[in-house]
Amino acid sequence: MTQTNDNLLSIKNLSTHFYTEQGLVKAVQDVSFDIPKGKTLAVVGESGCGKSVTALSVMRLIPWPPGKIVDGEILFDGESLREVSEDRMRQIRGNDIAMIFQEPMTSLNPVFTVGNQIIEVVKLHQKKSGHEALGIAVDMMRKVGIADPERRVGEYPHQMSGGMRQRVMIAMALCCGPELLIADEPTTALDVTIQAQILELLRTLQRQEGMSIMMITHDLGVVAENADEVVVMYASRVVEKASAEELFDKPLHPYTRGLLKSLPKLGERKERLDVIGGSVPNPLHFPDGCKFHPRCPLGCNDSRCRSQEPPLKQVAAGRSVACWHAEGYDDKSE
Amino acid sequence: MNEDLLLYNTMKHSSEYLVDVKDLKTYFPIRSGVFSKIVGHVKAVDGVSFKIRPGQTLGLVGESGCGKTTVGRTMIRLIPPTEGTFAFDGEDVFSQPQGRMKELRRDIQMMFQDPYGSLNPRMTVGSIIGESLGVHGVARGKERQDRVADLLNKVGLSAQHLNRYPHEFSGGQRQRIGIARALALDPKLIICDEPVSALDVSIQSQIVNLLQDLQEQLNLTYLFIAHDLAVVEHISDFVAVMYLGRIVEYADRDLLYANPLHPYTQALLSAIPEPDPGRRKHRIVLGGEVPSPSNPPSGCPFHPRCPLAEDCCKNEIQELVSKDGNEHLAACWKA
Amino acid sequence: MTDLTTTTENSKPVKGRSLWADGLRRLRKRKFAMVCFFIVLVYFILAGLIYLNEAFEWKISLFDWRQSVGPSYQKPWLDYEWTPEGQDVPEKGWTFFGTDFLGQSTFRKMVYGAKTSITVALCASFISLLIGVPLGAIAGYYRGWVDDVIVWFYTTLSTIPYILLVMAFAVVLRERTIFGLEIKGITAVYLAIGLTSWVGICRLIRGEIIKRKESEYVLAARAIGCSSGRIIFIHLLPNVFHVIIINFSLRFVSFIHAEVILSFLGLGEADKPSWGAMIDAARTELARNVWWEMAAATVAIFFISLALNIFGDALRDCLDPKLRTD
Repeated sequence: MTQTNDNLLSIKNLSTHFYTEQGLVKAVQDVSFDIPKGKTLAVVGESGCGKSVTALSVMRLIPWPPGKIVDGEILFDGESLREVSEDRMRQIRGNDIAMIFQEPMTSLNPVFTVGNQIIEVVKLHQKKSGHEALGIAVDMMRKVGIADPERRVGEYPHQMSGGMRQRVMIAMALCCGPELLIADEPTTALDVTIQAQILELLRTLQRQEGMSIMMITHDLGVVAENADEVVVMYASRVVEKASAEELFDKPLHPYTRGLLKSLPKLGERKERLDVIGGSVPNPLHFPDGCKFHPRCPLGCNDSRCRSQEPPLKQVAAGRSVACWHAEGYDDKSE
Repeated sequence: MNEDLLLYNTMKHSSEYLVDVKDLKTYFPIRSGVFSKIVGHVKAVDGVSFKIRPGQTLGLVGESGCGKTTVGRTMIRLIPPTEGTFAFDGEDVFSQPQGRMKELRRDIQMMFQDPYGSLNPRMTVGSIIGESLGVHGVARGKERQDRVADLLNKVGLSAQHLNRYPHEFSGGQRQRIGIARALALDPKLIICDEPVSALDVSIQSQIVNLLQDLQEQLNLTYLFIAHDLAVVEHISDFVAVMYLGRIVEYADRDLLYANPLHPYTQALLSAIPEPDPGRRKHRIVLGGEVPSPSNPPSGCPFHPRCPLAEDCCKNEIQELVSKDGNEHLAACWKA
Repeated sequence: MTDLTTTTENSKPVKGRSLWADGLRRLRKRKFAMVCFFIVLVYFILAGLIYLNEAFEWKISLFDWRQSVGPSYQKPWLDYEWTPEGQDVPEKGWTFFGTDFLGQSTFRKMVYGAKTSITVALCASFISLLIGVPLGAIAGYYRGWVDDVIVWFYTTLSTIPYILLVMAFAVVLRERTIFGLEIKGITAVYLAIGLTSWVGICRLIRGEIIKRKESEYVLAARAIGCSSGRIIFIHLLPNVFHVIIINFSLRFVSFIHAEVILSFLGLGEADKPSWGAMIDAARTELARNVWWEMAAATVAIFFISLALNIFGDALRDCLDPKLRTD
C-alpha cells in the first residue's frame, strides 16, 4: 500500500446504503482506494455500479433520507471527512475539494448569469470585494478557454453551448484552487470534438495547478488517455485496481476483460462484437457470491464464485483484484 | 396473375437502390414579432443526397446539430420535407397521399434512441409490439399474440413477459422491444436513430450484434444514425459524415476510415479517445464551438473551425464531389 | 431484475406491474391519507344511501329530515321534554346538533346536505371534465388555428368573475325547459357550475398534451401509422390520466364550496336542506344566539374539504411518475 502522506485522498472500506420504500439498496460496499497527489484516478463502471454515489459520499452530499454512509473512513489530507462538522465540510466543499457534473444545463442555475455563479463561489470561500471577485471570475473564464470573457461574464447558461457551460463549471470548480477535483462524467453529454477540448483543458489545468483529479466515467477511451490510476467498479464493489497502462495491457478481472473486448475499436475489424451476456444486476437483488458470476464465463458454473464473494486482494505492487480465478490471487492474503 | 402484371411487378422492384435520397432539405421557420412573421429558417438539413442498396447499411455520423436525426425523421415523414425526393424502391415517398403513405410505413420503420422514452409507459410490452399489427389490420386475437411472442423470441426476450410494462425491463431490453416493434410488419428498411447511444457499454455490443444478425436473417436495409464512429465503423457498409445539415464526406466504410479526406472527418476520427494508452495519437483539437443551424457561417460551414481554412472558404460552398473518380466523395477543394 | 430473457417451465404469460398498481401500492402505505379517503367515502356512502332510501322508500329515520324531533330551536346536547303535534303525552328527547325553527333535527339536515353537495360536485365535475378534457386535448394536439380559437374562447370566459358567471347561469337555467327536459333546482346548480368550471382542467390538459406530443413513443406511434385519434386516446390521454384524477380530487372541494355559495345566495335547491341554506338561515339565527345550525354546516364542510385536500395531495405524490424517489 502506498504511504498515506503521498495520498491526497484515502478511502477505506466505504459503504453507503439507501433505505428505500422497496428495500435496502447497498449502493457502495466496502470500497477502498487512494488518490495520490497530483495524479488522475479514474473510477470506471457502468450505470448502477456506485461510482457517482462514491463521489457524493466523499463530498458528504448523500441525502438522508434515504441514503447514509454506514461504514468506512475517508481521509483527505489527514482529515477524516466523516467526522468533521458540517461547517468544516462546507469550507472544504468548493475550496479544497470541488466537483463538476455531467449535465451542465441542469447543474448551472438558469436564473443567474454565469459570472454571478462564479462570483458566488469566490465570495463564499475568500474575503474579496465584489469588484475583486468579478476580476477573478473573468480571469478564470479566460483560463478555461472562454473567448471574450469580459463580455460573456454577463451571459446566462441558456445562451451558451454545452461545451461552454462545462467550461463555466470548471471555472467555478477551480476558482478557489482546490487540491482535488471530482469530475463526474464531465464529457459524456458533449460532442466528441468538444470532449477532446475539455479533456485537453483538464490535463493542462492539472499540470498548471498540481491538483489531483478523480474522474468518473464509463468511457474506457477517456480513461486510457487521461488516467494514471484506474479503479474498476461493478455492482457497488471495486473489482480491480491498477495503473492505466497495466490495466489495458493485462486486465485481470473477467469483467474488465469483457469490457475491453466488447468495445468496438477504431481500425479493428471483427465479424461480431464480443459481448458480456446478461445485464447489470438490480441493486435491490444482488446475486449471492461474486456479483459478476451470472455473466462471467469463468464463474457462472463455479460453486465458489456462486456462494462466496471474493474480497479485494493485492496481487502485485499497485495491483488489486477481486476474483477467485485471477492470476496470483489465491496465495495472497488480504 | 397474368403475364403483364408479373412483368410490371418485376420491373417495379428491379431498381438497384432501395433508398435514393436526392437533395433533401428540411427547413424550420423562425417566427418573430406580434404576428409571428417568418424572419428566417433553421436549415436543419440543407441538401443531402445518398443511396442505399438493399441489404446494406449506411452509417450517418455527425455531432449534435448536424441534422442526422432530422434526416431520418424527414424520410419517414414525421417531419414535413421542404424540398427534395426520397425514392423508395423506385417510388417517391414524399409525393404519396396519406393512404399510400400508411401502406409504405409497413416497409419503412424506425428505431429510437431513448429506451426510457420510446415506449409508452402505460401499455404492456405485448400491446406495444402488436400495435402495428392491429393498426394495419394484419392480425388480431390469438394470431396477433403468437406473432408478438415470436418477435420477442427473435430479439432474445422470453415471450412469457409480454404482459409486463416497460419500466420492468432494463435499458438494453427496452431497446430490444423497440427492435421487435420495428420488425412487426416485416419492413424492408429500418432507420436506426442512435439505437445504442443511451446504453451501457457492455450492452451496446449485444444490441449491435442483434441488429447484424437480424439484418442477415431478414435481409434488412439499415440507415444507421449515430455519433459513435467506432460502432458505425463496425456495422456500416458505407458511411456519410454530416456537418451542419450537409454531407461533407461519403465513402465506402473501409476507404473512409483508412483515408479520410475532409478535414472535419479527420478531426472527428482523431478526437475519439482510444482505449489503449500505448497509442497516444496525434490529435487535431478543433477550436470553437459546434455552430447552430439557425445562424450558419457563410461559404463552407466548417471554415471557422477548419485548420486548413483559407479566404476562399468563406465565400464558396463546397459541393460533394468524387475525389477518386469513384464513390469516395468529399466537400472540400483541399481534399 | 428477474431474468426476462429465459422462459421458465410454466410458460403462461406473467402478469405485469403497471404504473397504476405501483402508485396505488404507495398510496396504501400512507396511513393518514387512507384515513382521509375513508372519511370522504363515508360522505359518498351517505349520499348513496339517501338516494336509495328515497327510491325504495326504506324510511330510515336518519334521513328523515322532515320529522320534527323537538321544539323550535332546541339547544343541542340537552335533555328535553316536548309534546309532538297530535300527541298529548310529552316525550323525552336529546339532540346532537339541536333543532331548527320548525323543530327539525339539524343533524339530519346536515346528513342530508351531504347528498346535495356530493351530487352537485360529482355531476359538475363530470360536466367540466367532459368539456375541458376533449377541448384541451384537441387544442394541444392540433395546435394551429384550432388551438388559437379554443384558447381565445376560454381566456375570454375566464375574464368574467367566476362567482358572477355561476350565478348568472344558475339564474338563467332555473325553471327552464331545454329540449323538453325540465330543469329542476339541483340540476340547474350543477349545470351552472359544470358549464363554467372547465377552463382550469382544459388549460392543464392542453399543457400536458403539448409537453408529451413530441415524446419518442408518440413519434413511434406515428411512424407505425397510427391515426391522430388513436394517438390522442390510446397514447396521450392515458399518460395524462393521473393529472385528471389529481385535478378532480382537488377541484371537488371547490365544487362543494360553489354549491354552498349558491345555496347561500338562494340559488340552490329551494325545498331540500343543504349546507349553504343552513348557513344562510344562520344569518338571522345568530342574532338570537342560535349557533348550532351554522356549526353543523361548517363542521360538515370542514371535514370533507380537509380530507379531500389531504387525500388529493397524497394522490399527487403517489401517482406522478416524476416524483418517484425509487
